[in-house]
Amino acid sequence: MQGLRQKRQEWERSCLSKDEEEKNPRTLSGLNVKLLYTPEDTAGLDYLRDLGFPGKEPFVRGVYPTMYRGRKWTIRQLAGFGPPEETNKRYKFLLDQGATGINAVFDYPTLRGYDSTDPLGRADAGRGGVAIDTLEDMGILFDGIPIESISCSLVTSHPISNITVQSMFFANAQGRGIPLERLTGTSQNDFLMETAVTVSIEVLPPQHSFKLCCDAIEYCTRHVPRWNPVSFAGYNYREAGCTAIQEVAFVIANALACTEELIRRGLDVDSFAPRLSFFLSAHNDFFEEIAKYRAARRVWCRIMKERFGPKDPRSLAFRFHVQTAGGALTAQQPLNNITRAAYHGLAAVLGGAQSVHIDGYDEALCTPTELSALTALRTNQILQLETGVTRTIDPLGGSYFIESMTNKLEERIVSLLEEIDRMGGIVKAVENGWIHKEIAEAAYAYQKAVESGEIPIVGINCYRTEDEELPVEIFKVPETVQIQEQKIRRIKKERSALEAQKALDAVSRCCDRGENLMEVIVESVKAHVTLGEISHTIRQAYGTWNMPLF
Amino acid sequence: MNRKHLRVLIARLGMDAHWRGSIVVARALRDAGMEVIYVGNQMPENIVDTAIQEDVDVIGLSTLSGNHMILAPEVVRNLKIKGAEDIMVILGGTVPPGDIPRLKESGIAEVFGPGTPLKEIIRFISGSN
Repeated sequence: MQGLRQKRQEWERSCLSKDEEEKNPRTLSGLNVKLLYTPEDTAGLDYLRDLGFPGKEPFVRGVYPTMYRGRKWTIRQLAGFGPPEETNKRYKFLLDQGATGINAVFDYPTLRGYDSTDPLGRADAGRGGVAIDTLEDMGILFDGIPIESISCSLVTSHPISNITVQSMFFANAQGRGIPLERLTGTSQNDFLMETAVTVSIEVLPPQHSFKLCCDAIEYCTRHVPRWNPVSFAGYNYREAGCTAIQEVAFVIANALACTEELIRRGLDVDSFAPRLSFFLSAHNDFFEEIAKYRAARRVWCRIMKERFGPKDPRSLAFRFHVQTAGGALTAQQPLNNITRAAYHGLAAVLGGAQSVHIDGYDEALCTPTELSALTALRTNQILQLETGVTRTIDPLGGSYFIESMTNKLEERIVSLLEEIDRMGGIVKAVENGWIHKEIAEAAYAYQKAVESGEIPIVGINCYRTEDEELPVEIFKVPETVQIQEQKIRRIKKERSALEAQKALDAVSRCCDRGENLMEVIVESVKAHVTLGEISHTIRQAYGTWNMPLF
Repeated sequence: MNRKHLRVLIARLGMDAHWRGSIVVARALRDAGMEVIYVGNQMPENIVDTAIQEDVDVIGLSTLSGNHMILAPEVVRNLKIKGAEDIMVILGGTVPPGDIPRLKESGIAEVFGPGTPLKEIIRFISGSN
């Protein structure tokens, strides 16, 4: 190493200008990037301790022994809009075209626990996702789709919504004669989404949103063992403005808090930890993103081992879905987004993602059209089939640069986690507004860097086209409120009012007693109680919370 | 307008989920010397009530959900009903360009789409007073 150091210094003296180091650029997370990396930068790296073999601790090279040769990443394209009748057609279209998983996103009122007919929600019904009000809607959404064999991800986001939407999914499966033990899929179910990332009107106080999240995990651990009952949504934290470092630190802090709570409830760590799953972004900084996924695996493995000492190695494996960064797309020259999303997708699979959604090119303008959705699906398929990236595991592992970045990101993530620990954990960090401030500051700093030109974005701060004619069609959300209103009215008329009331009383009692709500909610949806009715009952019991304003 | 600092109310329309744009704009306006009241997600009626109570010069609405054609004109309508049409309303977010003429007809002073530089928003608000 000494000889190398000497030679490197000679090379620097003879070939580089004196101020070369001062010219070092920074990554999007603010890490310094040198002109060249050499074995000196990875000198302390111990292969077995720090990287290991795929499927073995610390899982830096991948969570499965054969990775994509054994099983390719799931092609899981997000879709949802209008009433469930319309979204069902889109799912069938995507599956016909070769998608290998469902990724169901729900509209704004559904995510916040309101019916499509609610005065607060009407203007947003069917927007940003599909409207689900009752068990019947869930039946329509998955009609003709083999949910016993295809994994379904439910982007339920807010625990208040998740607890009912997930219950509807399970009740619908039971109604179709599919045992819960067979179901595979994921619920997003992230309390940070409700209280810090996509806050809206009348959100639950953080500790109650967190409680509902843990209720859902506990229930699935006991009854739906192959289901991932939570997907910590770092992707959305990133979209709200976080850096890559914050994204990973916050998901891990969140997962650690859930782990502590579930152990406190009497569960064995190995009964649920293998099913905790993560959801990350793939943004513009290509190598930083790849290093981020690798660092996340190492941090998770080490902390879980140190704090909870699980016996099942799967409890230490950080499994994650990636969505390419919506916030990195531009409304200007929208076809450029196809290229952007392809690079993002490449970073995701070079980082060892378990499933990948690639964004549609029109997402900065509207919900993706069928053509845009198909192009995104094809981009994912081209990546999987044509580029050869599936042939060998963690192909960038061992790169001086990537290993050095992985180490640096790990350090920064760990130090942010320590800061959250000192604050008393993630729930406290939400309650006191620290997390909102962190996200807002990062978002503002990013925007200022774009405006100063420090972060170039083609079509925004360079290579602009003036008076551009949009080359894309704009998606129109199909009529939703009327369709949902008719169904809700009919269902309320046909159901047993007594049974519905009893079900809601049971939910209310369960809230008062601080018991797990899942079972009573599964029964409530079977009594045709609506999502809005259940959520209203929960809000009445727990109250609502305003995020600290600034 | 004789007051030293412009007062701006920033609100997110309806149930829209994205707070990044609204918060970034709020900070930029504050840094530009304006007084900013950030109220988070609200329905049009509440937005207008708060705007009147707080005696603001400008209402900045943010939405990416697609609810803009319903809720943004409602804000302007409510202002008129309450006799506060001198408050200017601007809108930012994911708004398809084809919707802009109708929004302007309804009384929205300006629409700022994705990628708009902050200084353009600041200039518009400052210039209009």
